[in-house]
Amino acid sequence: MATPDDRRYTDQHEWAQVQGTSGAATVVRIGITDHAQDALGDIVYVQLPEVGEELTTGNPVGEVESTKSVSDVYAPLAGTVSAVNTALAETPETVNSDPYGEGWLLEIEVTGDTEDPTDGLLDAAAYQALVDQG
Amino acid sequence: MTAQTPSLTSPLHERHLALGAKLADFGGWSMPLEYAGGGVIAEHTAVRQGVGLFDVSHLGTGTVRGPGAAAFVDRCLTNDLARIAPGQAQYTLCCLPDGEDRAGGVVDDLIAYLYGDDDVLLVPNAANAADVLGRLAAAAPEGVTVTDRHTEVAVLALQGPQSAEVLAAVGLPGSLDYMAFDRTQGTGDVTVCRTGYTGEHGYELLVEADRAGELWDALLAAGGTEQIRPCGLGARDTLRTEMGYPLHGHELSPDITPVQARAGWAVGWRKPEFWGREALLAEREAGPVRQLWGLRAPGRGIPRPGMQVLDGTGARVGEVTSGTFSPTLRAGIALALLDTAARPAPGLELAVDVRGRTSPVEVVKPPFVEPHVR
Repeated sequence: MATPDDRRYTDQHEWAQVQGTSGAATVVRIGITDHAQDALGDIVYVQLPEVGEELTTGNPVGEVESTKSVSDVYAPLAGTVSAVNTALAETPETVNSDPYGEGWLLEIEVTGDTEDPTDGLLDAAAYQALVDQG
Repeated sequence: MTAQTPSLTSPLHERHLALGAKLADFGGWSMPLEYAGGGVIAEHTAVRQGVGLFDVSHLGTGTVRGPGAAAFVDRCLTNDLARIAPGQAQYTLCCLPDGEDRAGGVVDDLIAYLYGDDDVLLVPNAANAADVLGRLAAAAPEGVTVTDRHTEVAVLALQGPQSAEVLAAVGLPGSLDYMAFDRTQGTGDVTVCRTGYTGEHGYELLVEADRAGELWDALLAAGGTEQIRPCGLGARDTLRTEMGYPLHGHELSPDITPVQARAGWAVGWRKPEFWGREALLAEREAGPVRQLWGLRAPGRGIPRPGMQVLDGTGARVGEVTSGTFSPTLRAGIALALLDTAARPAPGLELAVDVRGRTSPVEVVKPPFVEPHVR
């Protein structure tokens, strides 16, 4: 699967995509990459934070668990959780089948001066290069 | 991931790569974990509902031959070989001998094929094959020869309710009683045994390594109409965990005796001699301090090996030895060694410390899913 260039990435195999604004805050949707879901295998359980939880960049915010292993999800940005993908409680396999779409994990509201808070993350080409290096 | 490159590959390695297998290290062998287009859940489901084909060539193979070979094996391994006749196989254990540190602990669990009184074939686990065969070789009497044939023999497992049809389609004998085997000399030297590690009707096939590819191809082709799937060792683990079957290194080890692991049925208690007999009899008499139980999670949270099991007060009462997501039950399941003092019994509510969160579990007696082996 090609790495979509409509969003940004972290070296922890997460993606972040600006959805719009909510008052003064920017809403950013977060998920895991195709590479990450493929490496995990069949995903059977997704543990997500509560709406309202404050996230610190780089701290674990949830877990994605497959039949064979469990992997932490790290906050790519600091912000406040504004939505979680509750559909994943019943159908966690959506993260496998549609990691960049219906398999999103959570949304956070980021406040600050920058117009696009995801600017500092990797672009699609840089992330793809990271994956290709292994 | 820190990957130490395993040195050994199956004779089917190239076929696995062509099928897009993800590989993982199993006892020093690089073996398929799952296949492209499959995945653990699809492969697991194929075995429960149709048929799946596994390469388990990492399993060891060794022969014990010579006058009195079977009687010699019977003096070493736990199960009673007199319970079976030539043409039958038996699950048995190699325990640490009395007088050794951790006597009665399990060196390995294995299948013994009784070809005749002077010819026994053993199938131990990959990582322990050299240890088991080395111990037997050192103890063997004059005239009995122990030969390690690990890399010369490939092992395939054909498992699932449709396995008999597939076997018949390639002209191999499938009408065998549970744990019976038949050796054919048609396309190479193939031994077919009605056994497996999945809880379904199935077969394990021992074949000369240089004929394994031919047999693998024929089985996959014959299974086309049954929608056969190549299955990796990921599905083998979820299948065996649903059955509560022990895996050496988890439910059995030099630190875990068969009495603790509820594998006493594989011990010939009335035999006058086997390795670890005194220690095991003493433990059975006194009662084990811990015993293997099943744990079932109410939801999708999965207890993993090494996690602590806690009682209602938060006190530690045991440890998870295996845990996975059950594709059949769509819930977390686990095997755990629980302290006898905690009086575990089916229905008892306990908890597992899942990375700092306390997750409820219920004690159950495995299997978690009804077996169909017979």
